Amino acid sequence: MEKKKIGVYVCHCGGNISDYVDVEKVRQAIEDEGGVMLAKTTMFACSDSNQKEMVDDIKNNDLNGVVVASCSPKLHLTTFGNVSERAGLNKYNYVHANIREQDSWAHSDDKPGATEKAILLVRAAIAKARLTESLEPNKIVAQKAVAIIGGGVAGMKAAIELSNMDCPVYIIEKEFFIGGRVSQWGAMFTTNETGKEVVTRLYNDMIKRANVTVFTGAEVVTNVGSIGDFKLKVKITPRYVKEKCDRGKLQQAIDACPVEVPDEFNFKITNRKAIYHNFPSEYPQAAVIDMNNCTRCGKCEPICDNIDFSQKEEILDIHVGSVLMATGFDPYTPHDGEFGYNEIGNVVTLPQFKRMIELSGKKLRYKGKNVKNIAYIYCVGSRQEEGGNTYCSRYCCTSAIHASLLVKKKFPDVYNYHFNRGIRTYGKQESLYYDSSAQGDIYLQAYEDALPVVSWNGSKTIVKINDILTGGREMEVEADLVVLVTGMVPRADNSVGTLFKLPKGRDKFFNEIHMKLRPVETFIDGVTISGACQGPKNIMESVNSALSAATKSYSYVSKGELETEPIVAVVNPDSCAWCNACSEACPFDAISMTKDGTKSIAMINNSVCKGCGMCLPVCPTDALELIAYSNNEIESMIDALAHD
Amino acid sequence: MMSGQSKNISFDALVVGGGIAGGEAALNLATTGFKVLLVEKELSIGGKMIMLSKVFPTLDCAACITTPKVSEISRHPNITIYTSSEVGNINKIAENNFEATIIRKPRYVVIEDCTACQLCEQACPVSVPDQYQYNLVGRKAAFIPFSIASPKAAAIDIDNCILCGACEKVCPTNCIDFTQETEEIQISVKTVILATGFKLFDPLLMPRYGFGLFKNVITSMQMERELAPTRPFNTVLRPGDGKVPDKIAYVLCTGSRDASIGNPICSQICCMYSIKQSQLLMGALPMADVTIYYLNIRSFGKGFEEFYQQAKGMGVNFVKGKIGKIRETENGNGNLILRYEDINEGIVKEAEHDMVILSVGVLPNQDASGFFPKEELKLDPYKFIYQADSLISPARTSIDGVFVAGTASGPMDIPDSILSAGSASAEALSYLIQE
Repeated sequence: MEKKKIGVYVCHCGGNISDYVDVEKVRQAIEDEGGVMLAKTTMFACSDSNQKEMVDDIKNNDLNGVVVASCSPKLHLTTFGNVSERAGLNKYNYVHANIREQDSWAHSDDKPGATEKAILLVRAAIAKARLTESLEPNKIVAQKAVAIIGGGVAGMKAAIELSNMDCPVYIIEKEFFIGGRVSQWGAMFTTNETGKEVVTRLYNDMIKRANVTVFTGAEVVTNVGSIGDFKLKVKITPRYVKEKCDRGKLQQAIDACPVEVPDEFNFKITNRKAIYHNFPSEYPQAAVIDMNNCTRCGKCEPICDNIDFSQKEEILDIHVGSVLMATGFDPYTPHDGEFGYNEIGNVVTLPQFKRMIELSGKKLRYKGKNVKNIAYIYCVGSRQEEGGNTYCSRYCCTSAIHASLLVKKKFPDVYNYHFNRGIRTYGKQESLYYDSSAQGDIYLQAYEDALPVVSWNGSKTIVKINDILTGGREMEVEADLVVLVTGMVPRADNSVGTLFKLPKGRDKFFNEIHMKLRPVETFIDGVTISGACQGPKNIMESVNSALSAATKSYSYVSKGELETEPIVAVVNPDSCAWCNACSEACPFDAISMTKDGTKSIAMINNSVCKGCGMCLPVCPTDALELIAYSNNEIESMIDALAHD
Repeated sequence: MMSGQSKNISFDALVVGGGIAGGEAALNLATTGFKVLLVEKELSIGGKMIMLSKVFPTLDCAACITTPKVSEISRHPNITIYTSSEVGNINKIAENNFEATIIRKPRYVVIEDCTACQLCEQACPVSVPDQYQYNLVGRKAAFIPFSIASPKAAAIDIDNCILCGACEKVCPTNCIDFTQETEEIQISVKTVILATGFKLFDPLLMPRYGFGLFKNVITSMQMERELAPTRPFNTVLRPGDGKVPDKIAYVLCTGSRDASIGNPICSQICCMYSIKQSQLLMGALPMADVTIYYLNIRSFGKGFEEFYQQAKGMGVNFVKGKIGKIRETENGNGNLILRYEDINEGIVKEAEHDMVILSVGVLPNQDASGFFPKEELKLDPYKFIYQADSLISPARTSIDGVFVAGTASGPMDIPDSILSAGSASAEALSYLIQE
């Protein structure tokens, strides 16, 4: 092997490192290490000026190994690898030493010790740099098509964007109707457009496009493959009603159906039949028979010719290069007794209340009684104690206040009482809080240690609070309706995420790689996330993230070819005896069995393997090696670290 | 330098503003293969983010995550950057056809030849307040804007230069050129992205808080600089006497949620950056007490509420109350008396602190409203750029083909700015493709 000429850069990171580590001392300690040709310190290794200097150094000195001692490789491994590439040096000859997260920040109480440790860490990196080899990325074919899971506003917006960029799209919607949660809302902040109008606009734009295919009643059941090459099996549940359907006869059929079940679309405040459609502008405009509740009595069949019980479940194969998740959220469901929910008759959730405003006529009535005093209880299912949902759901303050404005406008004789924990109408949404105060709404506040109490005194529902805005005075309101301002939680059935092995955050929403740098990418290559499945968002925020995700998904598939990391596990067929231990240890299903002649051995799927190394230690015959992290390299690093 | 012969240049997109939103939008378009002109008013790209200490709630070092992005932008073959430049006007001729005048102000330094050796800085006899350190320290009239600036090249501040020529004499590469003049460049583009960012509220407009009068009352951006890796004092000091503060107060909603100063809306970022700074201060000055005076804590984003609880757990003191007035103590020790309504107890109180940070809010940058002489670029009631279809196409403005990214359309934090930039570049892309 060619003799290594290594350049080493020790970074101050402003003061993040140099406040605790004597970077000049580190530089001096390693400048005479074997193979080190130049050693420098730098204020910010990642700055543009230093990157340029590194490129010049590599070119002028013919360096064939580079080490930067700075922050975590999660931040800048790629940055400096790219610097090497720009100087004509294969990026796998670059080695990163972390002397910030693993040193200066961790040992801020021991400066000499931190400096010693930095020297050893840099020596270890140099030891590895002596052994690095140039590697070429693996190339794979990328199917130019994207599957979007979820047909709400985020999914539809992403589909339109991808379609504009001439990329075929499949929307896979679990429900029988498109539009997601937004279709359930009435007038919305900031434009007062209704959810129905927003969904109609998007649907009409989307459905006319030849390269967008929409599946409803559809669920991904299996996923084989990886970035560039996802092979999905999608189960289509039949509607049992043909799309072209005489509306009058359909209505007679619905009237004839004897089954009544709570209507999920109205958050169960109304009932629907087993044969149903959502409302006059549902998309697609076709009814459906809910087979879970249909008794097969057959009463609808003779009325309407288009009812067709012979329709069969179908399994479709879909082949795409990227998957965009837009699966949305569920509203939090309070447990029985939480602020009187399900125990006191007139306690509803905010989504139910919003449907009530939509469905009410001239008077606001609930369970046959006129509603005059409305008590809103905020942060139900959000900002809970450790163990519950500790996060803030972001949209609910604004949504509840907007609802209180709507209800007052529609029914001027109602009174709104907001039992809150600090109103969070961030940004321009503040204007709603102002408007609500101006219309005479009363705001009462408590902290988490003394939440309001909802009780039934035999004739009335009382909401009681020690209100901090009036110096802790005990206040009570006789409420005709209590609205629990429920937050957003991840979908109860998030199994589709599990299918793609998507990581979740501590709030159980899907997790991005980096909140600021890579907000729509996930740890699973080729799978992007958008909208409220990543965390609570309002509509505008969901649309912004959907467009960002669409751009990212497009970048994976647009060129028809993709490069993946060459750092993968390799199998030595001579020593492998296929015991299955590696395949069980692999978190990405990248290992399967193959035949080498008559012998069974392990096979690595290079486009799925993430180079995590989980398979290596479990192999009883040491038949696996990780490229760029070979035993040789790791042992040389350990030697350097252990050697004083 | 290109001049004379290179008038009337065409690009696919004009991005106005080289902060994190403009940079992200430019990169997205450039990566897809479109030619972008990025116009930045300041001497360096990177916007406000590059000046920050760390960012919430991940506590990433802002410089560490901004500089590589800035570097990627500045070396992208499809991106041309004009710093020290402003938009004169933009005229829409037809769909996918805009003509713009860009005014390039002289830097008096040939960027390509400057090695940032700083000899000119040492030679320059003029000292003025350093706007990039928010006036905490001084700089020369010949100066490098800041250590991680891009381009990293000197500039001459001609308003303060005494034309002594000292810098010219010491410059080893002869890159200082006092003959440079303002250039007007005509360009044609197919689409425009406005990423003109925001302005910080100027607390001089609230004399009752004593900013500018009492030296130990500073703004949150000044504290950001005191906490940054490239901080001017290398520690946290109060400017009045250089003492290390040990009883620090934050005044939230300075210039926000306050109709009396013309800004009724919430600035969306101040609660969180103040909580972040309080955590950094607890780390930098373990003995210091930090009190945050607030109306409502708005920790609404992913991981934000947990970050707020973490600050409470670290011992940051949160007091619900609006500060009415700040005055200096009479004994001359530079400490400050804050008069406020303690909402929990329902009484007016006073508290003494040795340093006060005003958490200043986000105001619109109205520059863009003057760009379009023939079309109407609508503004919203708060003078941010109006979003013509805020629910379905948040990046659309009142002019087709002109999109808005980041805080130009309203207050938002860094993750939201980046998503908004992704949204603007996606819409611009669709507009470009469908020509």
